[in-house]
Amino acid sequence: MKRAISRTEFLFIAITAFIVIVLLPALNAEGIISNFHLNLWGKYLCYSVLAISVDLLWGYTGLLSLGQALFFSLGGYMFGMYLMLVAGPFGQFAQSGQNPNGLPDFMVFLGHTVLPSFWRPFASFSFSTLMVVALPGLLALGFGYLAFRSRIKGVYFSILTQALTYGAALMFFSNDTVMGGNNGFTDFRYILGVDVRSASTQRWLFIASAVLLLGVYMLCKWLTGTKFGLVQRAVRDSETRVLFSGYAAANYKLFVFVLSSLIAALGGALYVPQVGIINPSEMTTEKSLEAVVWCAVGGRGTLVGPIVGAIGVNALKSWATRNCPDYWSFILGTIFILMVLFVPKGIVGGINDCSAWFTKWKKGREPDSTILEEITEPAASPSQS
Amino acid sequence: MKLRKFLATTILTGAALLTTSISSRAADDTVKVGVLHSLSGTMAISETSLRDVLLFTFDEINKAGGVLGKKIEPVVVDGASNWPLFAEKAKQLLDQDKVAVTFGCWTSVSRKSVLPVFEEKKGLLFYPVQYEGEEMSKNIIYTAEAVNQQATPAVDYELAQGKKKFYLLGSDYVYPQTTNLVLLEYLLSKGVPLENIGGGFKKDESGQIISAGKYTPFGHTDYQQIVAEIKQFAAGGKACVINTLNGDTNVPFFKEYAAAGLTAETCPVVSFSISEDEFRGLPAKQLVGQLGCWTYFQSINSPANKKFTTNFQSWLKNTDVTGIVKEGRVTCSPMVLSYDGVYLWKKAVEKAKSFDVDKVTAALEAGISFDGPGGLVTTQKNHHLTKNVYIGETKANGQFKILKTFNGVVGEPFLKGTFKAKTAK
Amino acid sequence: MPRHRPIFWQLLACILFLSGMTLQGAEPPRAVIAKALITEDAEEQSKLVASLAGNTDPLIRDLLTAWKEGTLFIFEAPAGLAGFTEGEKLAVTLTGEKDGEEKQGALRVDTAEVLKDGEGKAIRLLESDLSAAETDSNLRVAMKGVLDVFALSAADSVSRLKVVTQIGLDQDPGLLAALRAREKIEPDAGVRRAIRQSLAQIELKNEDAAIRIGAVKELGAMGSISSQDALKELVRNATAGDGTEVAATAALKAIATHVKWVNFYGTFFRGLSGGSVLLVVAIGLAITFGLMGVINMAHGELIVVGAYTTYVVQCVFGPGLALSPFGMKIALPGLNATGAALDSYFLVALPLSFLMAAAVGLALERGIIRFLYRRPLESLLATWGVSLVLQQLFRSVFGSNNVQVYSPSWLSGNWTVFDVILGWNRVFVIGFAILIIMGTWAILNKTPLGLLIRAVMQNRAMASCVGVRTERVNMLTFGFGSGLAGLAGAFLSQLGNVGPLLGQDYIVSAFMTVVVGGVGSLAGTVISALGIGVVDQSLQQILLNPVLGKILVLAGIILFLQWRPAGIFVTKSRSLEG
Repeated sequence: MKRAISRTEFLFIAITAFIVIVLLPALNAEGIISNFHLNLWGKYLCYSVLAISVDLLWGYTGLLSLGQALFFSLGGYMFGMYLMLVAGPFGQFAQSGQNPNGLPDFMVFLGHTVLPSFWRPFASFSFSTLMVVALPGLLALGFGYLAFRSRIKGVYFSILTQALTYGAALMFFSNDTVMGGNNGFTDFRYILGVDVRSASTQRWLFIASAVLLLGVYMLCKWLTGTKFGLVQRAVRDSETRVLFSGYAAANYKLFVFVLSSLIAALGGALYVPQVGIINPSEMTTEKSLEAVVWCAVGGRGTLVGPIVGAIGVNALKSWATRNCPDYWSFILGTIFILMVLFVPKGIVGGINDCSAWFTKWKKGREPDSTILEEITEPAASPSQS
Repeated sequence: MKLRKFLATTILTGAALLTTSISSRAADDTVKVGVLHSLSGTMAISETSLRDVLLFTFDEINKAGGVLGKKIEPVVVDGASNWPLFAEKAKQLLDQDKVAVTFGCWTSVSRKSVLPVFEEKKGLLFYPVQYEGEEMSKNIIYTAEAVNQQATPAVDYELAQGKKKFYLLGSDYVYPQTTNLVLLEYLLSKGVPLENIGGGFKKDESGQIISAGKYTPFGHTDYQQIVAEIKQFAAGGKACVINTLNGDTNVPFFKEYAAAGLTAETCPVVSFSISEDEFRGLPAKQLVGQLGCWTYFQSINSPANKKFTTNFQSWLKNTDVTGIVKEGRVTCSPMVLSYDGVYLWKKAVEKAKSFDVDKVTAALEAGISFDGPGGLVTTQKNHHLTKNVYIGETKANGQFKILKTFNGVVGEPFLKGTFKAKTAK
Repeated sequence: MPRHRPIFWQLLACILFLSGMTLQGAEPPRAVIAKALITEDAEEQSKLVASLAGNTDPLIRDLLTAWKEGTLFIFEAPAGLAGFTEGEKLAVTLTGEKDGEEKQGALRVDTAEVLKDGEGKAIRLLESDLSAAETDSNLRVAMKGVLDVFALSAADSVSRLKVVTQIGLDQDPGLLAALRAREKIEPDAGVRRAIRQSLAQIELKNEDAAIRIGAVKELGAMGSISSQDALKELVRNATAGDGTEVAATAALKAIATHVKWVNFYGTFFRGLSGGSVLLVVAIGLAITFGLMGVINMAHGELIVVGAYTTYVVQCVFGPGLALSPFGMKIALPGLNATGAALDSYFLVALPLSFLMAAAVGLALERGIIRFLYRRPLESLLATWGVSLVLQQLFRSVFGSNNVQVYSPSWLSGNWTVFDVILGWNRVFVIGFAILIIMGTWAILNKTPLGLLIRAVMQNRAMASCVGVRTERVNMLTFGFGSGLAGLAGAFLSQLGNVGPLLGQDYIVSAFMTVVVGGVGSLAGTVISALGIGVVDQSLQQILLNPVLGKILVLAGIILFLQWRPAGIFVTKSRSLEG
């Protein structure tokens, strides 16, 4: 078995990481890169983390979850609760003396005068950070356990995660939950005593997102290179055979499902202070599907693909919503249809295929069974039709 | 081989970085003005018409010589009904385009999303749509109707009509929630007993009633149970429904309402979110006689309104901006408040002789008046407007017949608690 | 009570009316109405109309009804018309016989004479030049008071029922005699019951405690929902000792029990109709997803195609339609039908929306889905892309606003049985669902096409081997499923809004319904749709919170699928991956 990371690749990751983690923030501090752009790219980095979590599930394990945006937002919400509690005493109601208990503003205008008990522990930064991973992780564990135990797979799994997401979104949309309803959380002020909106805090958040992305990338790189990764892909290609070989496929799937939910939640937690808002429309099925689009466009089953897709599609969105707003849905929809039909492996996969084909062609058209196998669509087993 | 992946990534990333980095600079004889509305996604249904009316207003002002001798150059961006994207676009307008002022937002959540951005970057936003109040940012001018410019006058009207029972129904978001909370206090202060307020009550953990009303999620389609409940509630007569459902869900509600045999005569519905524009998608015949309350109706018979509607219609016919629907267009309150906002800003700029946000804000706070299509509007120190409030009754042609006018109602954003205090005295 | 004195005169007025006599006021009713018509002040207008109350001249009924219906006009004298000052207003009715220039003769409302100018020449008018006299709700309330007495003897029982109920709510003792007289000759049992209820409601105000208690007891026994408020008031204002309070409390209890039963049956009916909506929406999906295994995320948009087709058909029957998609101009001429002919648009729209959606479905199948039969997850993604494109397409063609679709009159009434409202549209949806299910079942089980469909769906390779053209069957099946979605759209246009995002409201519940029912099983889909509908409505009724109910239903579905992963009805298969 070859090393998980080749030398050139390692070098490249190191250089990219240096540029993103050190150079860009430094340039921003010098005023060469605007705050707006750094902030925008911080957002893209968080999206990339989400895209990798989708890819780990879908590209590597064959589980198409329509609930990744839910975990992403849950992470954001948990961290947002801390931010809201910190901001409460500085809100306009507290300023005008109408809010002696320092409740978040949205609670005050919904008529609350005392903090609901489940909110109280979130005043602690460490508790909130713990909940960022604990709540999505437990939800994924519970849901995954039930789903995989009863062997729900394929499209049924997708539809079930869709139901989970829909139900959760309804819950968060409702103001009875006291989680900010449709408005969600906004107007954050301080994070660990520093102004969350200041350029330097935003810069540190950007660095944190970049480090998180790097960490997640390395983790997944390592994981997919191990024997675990092999089983993972085997589950994707033919779960039945894995079962017959004596592996408890359900446990593998459960582990990947929980892991990817944790990754998404961490991305969400860093996303919220950077964009300054979290609300339930971030956890709808459409958002999950959008993350799947990034993955599909970039190239699933690779780790670079999701990053390319997340950044590419979002940059396109930033551009299109400004230059041709009426056509944005057309563009996204059409890209998606074309990618699925003609480049199912996405940009990165497509480039790989082309280069593989090119090498083969240069070698004098020797039949190379390994490459052919790679090109064949894995899910195309006749028994599925 | 893996290197290629990275090459691809870098190229793509670079390209993306470039495209987002390009920003244009305003020429010397123009002033950049931001337009921040959703032109795609769920809210496009309402917000596109605001974009249209803003572009019309800019053209009208430019034809008349512009502002301080400069032509308005609109920068139109699409919030795509995506709230974080609203914040991103606001940052872009302020940081990249350096717009002098921005007109935009419809939903509360979009305003909440951009508010920290405007405060942080010291921008100026004009917000034109009826809203829940409880907010007063120094960087936002609320040309919108406050709760006391819509809900409480409507309740006064119903009380004067001899109504004794009020059923509160709304979509589950902040505007209906807050409005109903204020209305609960208002109704109690007017001597309406709790048992005559329908829709249910919300209690906090200690069991104290904090709000009232029945709420349905966005996109709710089945109003059978609620209508049956209203039918029983209204069976004893002298009842009305205070409706804060948002645009879309009104259709299934009113269809069910009519099918249950409830009419404007047996139990009228006062709606706060149905303007002429929303009306285009509603079954007008089933709504005849139901009430609406706004600070503008297209049917207002005044020279200013006549001029506004005629000019807007002819502009629509001649414009070549893409994506503008030309047929069957109407004017409504949020459109007129957008229009008023632009003129108020223009007057303030001319008074301050500067585009500087602080100076313009100071001029606005000192009080600027404009005789708009809905009557005279005047800015107040608290960033809201004094304006006329109209109560209208819907007609089969989708217009409102004006039943009552309240002149010069002062916009008051902070209402919660004020009515309780009155009864205590 | 001293107030009984003037009531005596009102009673007299009623009795006089019933014996067919007329009472002359100071001013003839014609003049009063004519004056009210041209009065600008809305309050004054209402007062004038209200002053006619008690007057029983049938002319009043005719004129007020005409006013309400907008057939009375205000004539404004133009400059230079002899005998009139400029801008002088006069209320007129039109004679209806039009000359070559579409002009009609006019009658003055105040004198019933032909409208003439100062020189005695008849003035002929264009209807479009006149403004119809308007009414507002105050005025209509005033009119109602006047018209109520007439309405008691209206020809149709529905309007009689309405007026009787309202009289009861108003508790006006002045109308007791009129009601009693009517009770004796009333042929309709429902109206008779309503009259008894109204009589009792009015008697609640009687000074005599015995009569009052009698009325209270009767209302309690009737389970009169509309009396609750009046009874509660009675309890509040009761002076101790006369037994009214006790009786009223008992009556309220009886009514509350009655309401419980009404809600129980009502919930059942609402659940049935809610379930039928789900069923109609999901049946197309049960074919494309259940039988073919294609995840069509654009199913919702196929529903929208059906709904918009209905809209277009309605416009063609009515005034026509002009659209401007992508800068093009499309104008569809209208047939300008009215009444029953206009109402029949829906019958035309049903098959057309089936065909339109089927056509779009066929294009979708040929263009995209057929390449993805072996990659179900990817067909999910590609069709989601399609749904995005279609949504934006609808926006570009029809605008992002919702469009108006009128319900035909035969779908917009209701029956009230045992105080449960049975809306015609709701009854129709149940019937419609039954028809669709029977039709689908028949096509799948009784036609050669159905045989082929079943064969291909069970074993594609085998079917292909014995000579079935599987490609073609796939195409037809998908088209059929899509067409059913279109039918659902036509129907939903009668219940809710028609806009680009209509499909999104239903797609999740539709998928849930099919999955819970058991993929590939029509019977399962029927049971799961009705089950979800009834459970949903029951939860709404119990929790009084639509959101919480919905969340619980979803949680229930997820848990149910743990217990029966393959749904209610499991399709047996020997395939490992099944």
